[in-house]
Amino acid sequence: MKSGQAEIAETSKGIQKRGLMSRRIAIFEFILRIIAFFNTISSAILMATTNETLPFFTQFIRFHADYNDLPALTFFVVANAVVSGYLILTLPLAFVHIVKNKTENSRILLIILDVAMVGLLASGAASAAAIVYLAHNGNNNTNWFAVCQQFNSFCERISGSLIGSFIAVVLLILLIILSAIAISRRH
Amino acid sequence: MAKESTTIDIGEPSTVTKSTSHAVVDEKKKSFVTAAGGGGDKRGLTIFDFLLRLAAIGITIGASSVMFTAEETLPFFTQFLQFQAGYDDFPTFQFFVIAIAIVASYLVLSLPFSIVTIVRPLAVAPRLILLISDTVVLTLTTAAAAAAASIVYLAHNGNTNTNWLPICQQFGDFCQTASTAVVAASISVVFFILLIVISAIALKRH
Repeated sequence: MKSGQAEIAETSKGIQKRGLMSRRIAIFEFILRIIAFFNTISSAILMATTNETLPFFTQFIRFHADYNDLPALTFFVVANAVVSGYLILTLPLAFVHIVKNKTENSRILLIILDVAMVGLLASGAASAAAIVYLAHNGNNNTNWFAVCQQFNSFCERISGSLIGSFIAVVLLILLIILSAIAISRRH
Repeated sequence: MAKESTTIDIGEPSTVTKSTSHAVVDEKKKSFVTAAGGGGDKRGLTIFDFLLRLAAIGITIGASSVMFTAEETLPFFTQFLQFQAGYDDFPTFQFFVIAIAIVASYLVLSLPFSIVTIVRPLAVAPRLILLISDTVVLTLTTAAAAAAASIVYLAHNGNTNTNWLPICQQFGDFCQTASTAVVAASISVVFFILLIVISAIALKRH
Protein backbone atom coordinates (compact mmCIF):
# COMPACT_ATOMS: atom_id res chain seq x y z
CA MET A 1 0.00 0.00 0.00
CA LYS A 2 2.75 2.40 0.95
CA SER A 3 4.68 1.83 -2.29
CA GLY A 4 1.40 2.20 -4.22
CA GLN A 5 0.71 5.47 -2.47
CA ALA A 6 4.24 6.65 -3.14
CA GLU A 7 3.79 5.73 -6.79
CA ILE A 8 0.55 7.70 -6.99
CA ALA A 9 2.20 10.70 -5.34
CA GLU A 10 5.12 10.45 -7.74
CA THR A 11 2.94 10.24 -10.86
CA SER A 12 0.82 13.16 -9.66
CA LYS A 13 3.99 15.17 -9.08
CA GLY A 14 5.17 14.14 -12.54
CA ILE A 15 1.88 15.28 -14.04
CA GLN A 16 2.15 18.56 -12.15
CA LYS A 17 5.68 19.07 -13.47
CA ARG A 18 4.54 18.41 -17.03
CA GLY A 19 1.62 20.77 -16.52
CA LEU A 20 4.05 23.41 -15.37
CA MET A 21 6.22 22.89 -18.47
CA SER A 22 3.33 23.28 -20.88
CA ARG A 23 2.16 26.33 -18.97
CA ARG A 24 5.61 27.85 -19.35
CA ILE A 25 5.51 27.16 -23.09
CA ALA A 26 2.11 28.87 -23.34
CA ILE A 27 3.31 31.93 -21.41
CA PHE A 28 6.41 32.17 -23.61
CA GLU A 29 4.19 31.96 -26.69
CA PHE A 30 2.01 34.77 -25.37
CA ILE A 31 5.03 37.01 -24.81
CA LEU A 32 6.42 36.20 -28.28
CA ARG A 33 3.10 37.13 -29.83
CA ILE A 34 3.14 40.52 -28.14
CA ILE A 35 6.72 41.22 -29.26
CA ALA A 36 5.90 40.17 -32.83
CA PHE A 37 2.84 42.44 -32.80
CA PHE A 38 4.97 45.43 -31.81
CA ASN A 39 7.51 44.62 -34.50
CA THR A 40 4.98 44.37 -37.32
CA ILE A 41 3.00 47.44 -36.33
CA SER A 42 6.14 49.56 -36.02
CA SER A 43 7.36 48.31 -39.41
CA ALA A 44 4.07 49.19 -41.04
CA ILE A 45 3.94 52.64 -39.46
CA LEU A 46 7.57 53.40 -40.25
CA MET A 47 7.15 52.46 -43.90
CA ALA A 48 3.84 54.25 -44.28
CA THR A 49 5.11 57.54 -42.91
CA THR A 50 8.15 57.88 -45.15
CA ASN A 51 8.16 60.60 -47.67
CA GLU A 52 10.82 62.87 -48.92
CA THR A 53 10.61 65.93 -51.08
CA LEU A 54 13.81 67.12 -52.64
CA PRO A 55 14.53 70.81 -52.03
CA PHE A 56 14.77 71.77 -55.70
CA PHE A 57 11.80 71.76 -58.00
CA THR A 58 11.06 73.09 -61.45
CA GLN A 59 7.88 74.85 -62.38
CA PHE A 60 6.15 71.65 -63.39
CA ILE A 61 7.84 68.76 -61.63
CA ARG A 62 8.36 68.27 -57.93
CA PHE A 63 10.72 65.52 -56.84
CA HIS A 64 8.80 63.59 -54.25
CA ALA A 65 9.24 60.03 -53.02
CA ASP A 66 6.56 58.19 -51.15
CA TYR A 67 5.89 54.58 -50.21
CA ASN A 68 2.93 54.68 -52.59
CA ASP A 69 5.24 55.13 -55.54
CA LEU A 70 6.50 51.56 -55.34
CA PRO A 71 3.82 48.82 -55.31
CA ALA A 72 6.07 46.39 -53.45
CA LEU A 73 6.32 48.81 -50.52
CA THR A 74 2.54 49.24 -50.50
CA PHE A 75 2.18 45.45 -50.33
CA PHE A 76 4.69 45.45 -47.49
CA VAL A 77 2.65 47.96 -45.47
CA VAL A 78 -0.59 46.06 -46.08
CA ALA A 79 0.98 42.68 -45.18
CA ASN A 80 2.46 44.03 -41.96
CA ALA A 81 -0.83 45.66 -41.00
CA VAL A 82 -2.77 42.43 -41.64
CA VAL A 83 -0.31 40.33 -39.64
CA SER A 84 -0.30 42.76 -36.72
CA GLY A 85 -4.11 42.71 -36.68
CA TYR A 86 -4.04 38.91 -36.74
CA LEU A 87 -1.58 38.80 -33.84
CA ILE A 88 -3.74 41.08 -31.73
CA LEU A 89 -6.82 39.00 -32.49
CA THR A 90 -5.11 35.74 -31.49
CA LEU A 91 -3.79 37.13 -28.20
CA PRO A 92 -6.97 36.02 -26.33
CA LEU A 93 -6.62 32.55 -27.84
CA ALA A 94 -3.01 32.37 -26.65
CA PHE A 95 -4.16 33.46 -23.21
CA VAL A 96 -6.73 30.67 -23.17
CA HIS A 97 -3.93 28.21 -23.94
CA ILE A 98 -2.17 29.30 -20.78
CA VAL A 99 -5.20 28.63 -18.64
CA LYS A 100 -6.78 25.59 -20.25
CA ASN A 101 -5.39 22.05 -20.22
CA LYS A 102 -6.57 20.22 -23.32
CA THR A 103 -5.76 22.65 -26.12
CA GLU A 104 -4.78 20.42 -29.04
CA ASN A 105 -7.48 21.33 -31.56
CA SER A 106 -7.20 25.06 -31.06
CA ARG A 107 -3.43 24.76 -31.28
CA ILE A 108 -3.76 23.05 -34.64
CA LEU A 109 -5.99 25.90 -35.83
CA LEU A 110 -3.41 28.36 -34.53
CA ILE A 111 -0.60 26.55 -36.39
CA ILE A 112 -2.54 26.67 -39.66
CA LEU A 113 -3.22 30.41 -39.30
CA ASP A 114 0.35 31.08 -38.18
CA VAL A 115 1.75 29.29 -41.22
CA ALA A 116 -0.44 31.37 -43.52
CA MET A 117 0.69 34.56 -41.77
CA VAL A 118 4.36 33.55 -42.01
CA GLY A 119 3.89 33.09 -45.75
CA LEU A 120 2.23 36.50 -46.11
CA LEU A 121 4.76 38.34 -43.96
CA ALA A 122 7.81 36.67 -45.51
CA SER A 123 6.59 37.44 -49.02
CA GLY A 124 5.90 41.08 -48.14
CA ALA A 125 9.29 41.51 -46.50
CA ALA A 126 11.14 39.73 -49.31
CA SER A 127 9.52 41.71 -52.13
CA ALA A 128 10.16 44.99 -50.29
CA ALA A 129 13.77 43.90 -49.67
CA ALA A 130 14.27 43.19 -53.38
CA ILE A 131 12.97 46.65 -54.29
CA VAL A 132 15.06 48.33 -51.57
CA TYR A 133 18.15 46.49 -52.83
CA LEU A 134 17.38 47.72 -56.32
CA ALA A 135 16.92 51.27 -55.06
CA HIS A 136 20.28 51.11 -53.33
CA ASN A 137 22.29 49.51 -56.12
CA GLY A 138 20.40 49.94 -59.37
CA ASN A 139 20.90 47.59 -62.27
CA ASN A 140 23.32 48.33 -65.10
CA ASN A 141 21.95 45.76 -67.49
CA THR A 142 18.41 47.11 -67.48
CA ASN A 143 19.34 50.77 -67.03
CA TRP A 144 17.51 50.99 -63.72
CA PHE A 145 18.96 53.88 -61.83
CA ALA A 146 19.80 53.70 -58.13
CA VAL A 147 17.23 56.01 -56.58
CA CYS A 148 18.92 56.19 -53.18
CA GLN A 149 21.63 58.47 -54.46
CA GLN A 150 19.09 61.27 -54.54
CA PHE A 151 16.60 60.31 -51.86
CA ASN A 152 18.85 59.59 -48.91
CA SER A 153 16.62 59.72 -45.86
CA PHE A 154 13.80 57.98 -47.72
CA CYS A 155 16.08 55.07 -48.49
CA GLU A 156 17.41 54.84 -44.94
CA ARG A 157 13.94 54.76 -43.51
CA ILE A 158 12.59 52.08 -45.82
CA SER A 159 15.67 49.95 -45.17
CA GLY A 160 15.21 50.31 -41.41
CA SER A 161 11.56 49.33 -41.48
CA LEU A 162 12.44 46.01 -43.06
CA ILE A 163 14.28 44.92 -39.93
CA GLY A 164 11.20 44.81 -37.71
CA SER A 165 9.41 42.71 -40.29
CA PHE A 166 12.23 40.17 -40.51
CA ILE A 167 12.37 39.86 -36.72
CA ALA A 168 8.63 39.24 -36.69
CA VAL A 169 9.06 36.47 -39.28
CA VAL A 170 11.59 34.72 -37.02
CA LEU A 171 9.26 35.12 -34.03
CA LEU A 172 6.35 33.64 -35.96
CA ILE A 173 8.50 30.64 -36.92
CA LEU A 174 9.33 30.19 -33.22
CA LEU A 175 5.62 30.36 -32.41
CA ILE A 176 4.85 27.60 -34.91
CA ILE A 177 7.61 25.40 -33.50
CA LEU A 178 6.43 25.98 -29.92
CA SER A 179 2.85 25.13 -30.83
CA ALA A 180 4.03 21.92 -32.51
CA ILE A 181 6.07 20.95 -29.44
CA ALA A 182 3.09 21.66 -27.22
CA ILE A 183 0.83 19.45 -29.38
CA SER A 184 3.30 16.58 -29.37
CA ARG A 185 3.79 16.44 -25.63
CA ARG A 186 2.49 13.50 -23.69
CA HIS A 187 -0.62 15.13 -22.26
CA MET B 1 -25.63 1.59 -14.82
CA ALA B 2 -25.45 -1.51 -16.96
CA LYS B 3 -26.70 0.46 -19.94
CA GLU B 4 -24.04 3.11 -19.42
CA SER B 5 -21.26 0.60 -19.27
CA THR B 6 -22.44 -1.14 -22.41
CA THR B 7 -22.63 2.11 -24.34
CA ILE B 8 -19.17 3.01 -23.19
CA ASP B 9 -17.90 -0.38 -24.23
CA ILE B 10 -19.48 -0.13 -27.65
CA GLY B 11 -18.10 3.38 -28.14
CA GLU B 12 -14.42 2.48 -28.00
CA PRO B 13 -13.96 -0.85 -29.74
CA SER B 14 -15.41 0.46 -33.02
CA THR B 15 -12.34 2.63 -33.54
CA VAL B 16 -10.05 -0.03 -32.17
CA THR B 17 -11.38 -2.70 -34.51
CA LYS B 18 -11.15 -0.27 -37.40
CA SER B 19 -7.49 0.35 -36.88
CA THR B 20 -6.70 -3.27 -36.09
CA SER B 21 -8.52 -4.48 -39.19
CA HIS B 22 -6.55 -1.91 -41.14
CA ALA B 23 -3.51 -3.31 -39.39
CA VAL B 24 -4.47 -6.81 -40.44
CA VAL B 25 -4.72 -5.73 -44.06
CA ASP B 26 -1.41 -3.93 -43.74
CA GLU B 27 0.09 -6.94 -42.05
CA LYS B 28 -0.90 -9.15 -44.91
CA LYS B 29 0.65 -6.75 -47.36
CA LYS B 30 3.65 -5.37 -45.52
CA SER B 31 3.81 -7.30 -42.22
CA PHE B 32 3.92 -4.19 -40.06
CA VAL B 33 2.73 -4.11 -36.49
CA THR B 34 0.61 -1.09 -35.64
CA ALA B 35 -0.41 -0.05 -32.18
CA ALA B 36 -4.10 0.34 -31.46
CA GLY B 37 -5.88 3.64 -31.88
CA GLY B 38 -5.10 6.25 -34.54
CA GLY B 39 -2.43 4.37 -36.44
CA GLY B 40 -4.64 3.86 -39.48
CA ASP B 41 -5.64 7.38 -40.46
CA LYS B 42 -2.22 8.75 -39.55
CA ARG B 43 -0.69 6.37 -42.06
CA GLY B 44 -2.93 7.76 -44.79
CA LEU B 45 -1.85 11.28 -43.89
CA THR B 46 1.83 10.39 -43.93
CA ILE B 47 1.57 8.65 -47.29
CA PHE B 48 -0.06 11.81 -48.63
CA ASP B 49 2.81 13.74 -47.03
CA PHE B 50 5.34 11.56 -48.87
CA LEU B 51 3.58 12.03 -52.20
CA LEU B 52 3.41 15.80 -51.65
CA ARG B 53 7.14 15.81 -51.02
CA LEU B 54 7.78 13.99 -54.29
CA ALA B 55 5.61 16.47 -56.18
CA ALA B 56 7.32 19.42 -54.47
CA ILE B 57 10.74 18.01 -55.46
CA GLY B 58 9.65 17.95 -59.08
CA ILE B 59 8.25 21.45 -59.01
CA THR B 60 11.19 23.08 -57.23
CA ILE B 61 13.75 21.43 -59.51
CA GLY B 62 11.65 22.60 -62.46
CA ALA B 63 11.44 26.18 -61.16
CA SER B 64 15.15 26.43 -60.49
CA SER B 65 16.21 24.98 -63.83
CA VAL B 66 13.70 27.06 -65.79
CA MET B 67 15.03 30.26 -64.23
CA PHE B 68 18.61 29.09 -64.73
CA THR B 69 18.10 28.59 -68.45
CA ALA B 70 16.10 31.78 -69.04
CA GLU B 71 18.03 33.62 -71.67
CA GLU B 72 17.33 35.83 -74.60
CA THR B 73 19.53 37.53 -77.15
CA LEU B 74 17.94 40.24 -79.23
CA PRO B 75 18.38 39.77 -82.96
CA PHE B 76 19.96 43.16 -83.65
CA PHE B 77 23.39 44.10 -82.40
CA THR B 78 25.84 46.87 -83.07
CA GLN B 79 29.51 46.34 -83.60
CA PHE B 80 30.27 46.68 -79.90
CA LEU B 81 27.11 45.85 -77.97
CA GLN B 82 24.96 42.80 -77.97
CA PHE B 83 21.60 42.92 -76.24
CA GLN B 84 21.36 39.94 -73.94
CA ALA B 85 19.34 39.06 -70.89
CA GLY B 86 20.09 36.20 -68.56
CA TYR B 87 19.27 35.21 -65.00
CA ASP B 88 22.63 36.45 -63.76
CA ASP B 89 21.87 40.01 -64.78
CA PHE B 90 19.62 40.25 -61.74
CA PRO B 91 21.01 39.46 -58.27
CA THR B 92 17.48 38.65 -57.14
CA PHE B 93 17.18 35.96 -59.79
CA GLN B 94 20.54 34.55 -58.74
CA PHE B 95 19.22 34.34 -55.18
CA PHE B 96 16.08 32.67 -56.52
CA VAL B 97 17.97 29.95 -58.40
CA ILE B 98 20.27 29.17 -55.47
CA ALA B 99 17.52 29.23 -52.84
CA ILE B 100 15.13 26.99 -54.80
CA ALA B 101 17.97 24.58 -55.50
CA ILE B 102 18.69 24.42 -51.76
CA VAL B 103 15.01 23.78 -51.11
CA ALA B 104 14.95 20.96 -53.67
CA SER B 105 17.96 19.25 -52.08
CA TYR B 106 16.37 19.67 -48.63
CA LEU B 107 13.25 17.93 -49.90
CA VAL B 108 15.30 15.03 -51.23
CA LEU B 109 17.06 14.75 -47.87
CA SER B 110 13.77 14.80 -45.99
CA LEU B 111 12.36 11.82 -47.89
CA PRO B 112 13.96 9.26 -45.49
CA PHE B 113 12.39 11.07 -42.52
CA SER B 114 9.03 10.91 -44.23
CA ILE B 115 9.47 7.18 -44.84
CA VAL B 116 10.35 6.71 -41.17
CA THR B 117 7.12 8.45 -40.17
CA ILE B 118 5.17 6.12 -42.47
CA VAL B 119 6.81 3.05 -40.97
CA ARG B 120 6.41 4.20 -37.37
CA PRO B 121 3.24 6.30 -37.19
CA LEU B 122 3.45 6.95 -33.48
CA ALA B 123 7.01 8.29 -33.34
CA VAL B 124 7.07 11.96 -32.41
CA ALA B 125 10.70 12.96 -33.03
CA PRO B 126 10.87 12.52 -36.85
CA ARG B 127 7.60 14.37 -37.33
CA LEU B 128 8.72 17.22 -35.11
CA ILE B 129 12.06 17.50 -36.94
CA LEU B 130 10.19 17.51 -40.26
CA LEU B 131 7.82 20.23 -39.08
CA ILE B 132 10.56 22.50 -37.76
CA SER B 133 12.74 22.24 -40.84
CA ASP B 134 9.68 22.52 -43.13
CA THR B 135 8.77 25.82 -41.49
CA VAL B 136 12.25 27.25 -41.99
CA VAL B 137 12.36 26.09 -45.61
CA LEU B 138 8.86 27.48 -46.21
CA THR B 139 10.13 30.93 -45.21
CA LEU B 140 13.13 30.60 -47.52
CA THR B 141 10.98 29.52 -50.46
CA THR B 142 8.44 32.27 -49.86
CA ALA B 143 11.19 34.87 -49.67
CA ALA B 144 12.83 33.70 -52.90
CA ALA B 145 9.53 33.50 -54.79
CA ALA B 146 8.32 36.89 -53.54
CA ALA B 147 11.58 38.72 -54.29
CA ALA B 148 11.69 37.28 -57.81
CA ALA B 149 8.00 38.11 -58.25
CA SER B 150 8.56 41.76 -57.35
CA ILE B 151 11.41 42.02 -59.88
CA VAL B 152 9.28 40.31 -62.54
CA TYR B 153 6.42 42.71 -61.78
CA LEU B 154 8.83 45.60 -62.16
CA ALA B 155 10.10 44.20 -65.45
CA HIS B 156 6.54 43.91 -66.73
CA ASN B 157 5.23 47.28 -65.60
CA GLY B 158 8.17 49.54 -64.87
CA ASN B 159 7.88 52.46 -62.51
CA THR B 160 7.29 55.98 -63.68
CA ASN B 161 8.24 57.64 -60.40
CA THR B 162 11.74 56.19 -60.34
CA ASN B 163 12.19 56.15 -64.11
CA TRP B 164 12.60 52.37 -64.31
CA LEU B 165 11.64 51.14 -67.76
CA PRO B 166 9.72 47.90 -68.25
CA ILE B 167 12.21 45.67 -70.02
CA CYS B 168 9.63 43.00 -70.90
CA GLN B 169 8.64 45.04 -73.91
CA GLN B 170 12.00 44.17 -75.43
CA PHE B 171 12.84 40.84 -73.82
CA GLY B 172 9.50 39.10 -74.13
CA ASP B 173 10.72 35.49 -73.98
CA PHE B 174 12.98 36.09 -71.02
CA CYS B 175 10.13 37.66 -69.08
CA GLN B 176 7.82 34.81 -69.93
CA THR B 177 10.31 32.19 -68.73
CA ALA B 178 11.08 34.06 -65.53
CA SER B 179 7.37 34.45 -64.75
CA THR B 180 6.84 30.70 -65.23
CA ALA B 181 9.62 29.93 -62.76
CA VAL B 182 8.11 32.30 -60.19
CA VAL B 183 4.67 30.71 -60.57
CA ALA B 184 6.17 27.24 -60.07
CA ALA B 185 7.92 28.38 -56.90
CA SER B 186 4.66 29.81 -55.58
CA ILE B 187 2.94 26.46 -56.15
CA SER B 188 5.69 24.79 -54.14
CA VAL B 189 4.97 27.28 -51.31
CA VAL B 190 1.39 25.98 -51.22
CA PHE B 191 2.74 22.44 -51.06
CA PHE B 192 4.92 23.36 -48.11
CA ILE B 193 1.99 24.85 -46.25
CA LEU B 194 0.07 21.61 -46.78
CA LEU B 195 3.06 19.58 -45.55
CA ILE B 196 3.29 21.60 -42.35
CA VAL B 197 -0.44 21.29 -41.68
CA ILE B 198 -0.28 17.51 -42.23
CA SER B 199 2.64 17.20 -39.82
CA ALA B 200 0.81 19.27 -37.21
CA ILE B 201 -2.36 17.15 -37.47
CA ALA B 202 -0.37 13.93 -37.35
CA LEU B 203 1.50 15.08 -34.21
CA LYS B 204 -1.73 15.13 -32.28
CA ARG B 205 -2.01 12.21 -29.92
CA HIS B 206 -5.51 10.84 -29.62
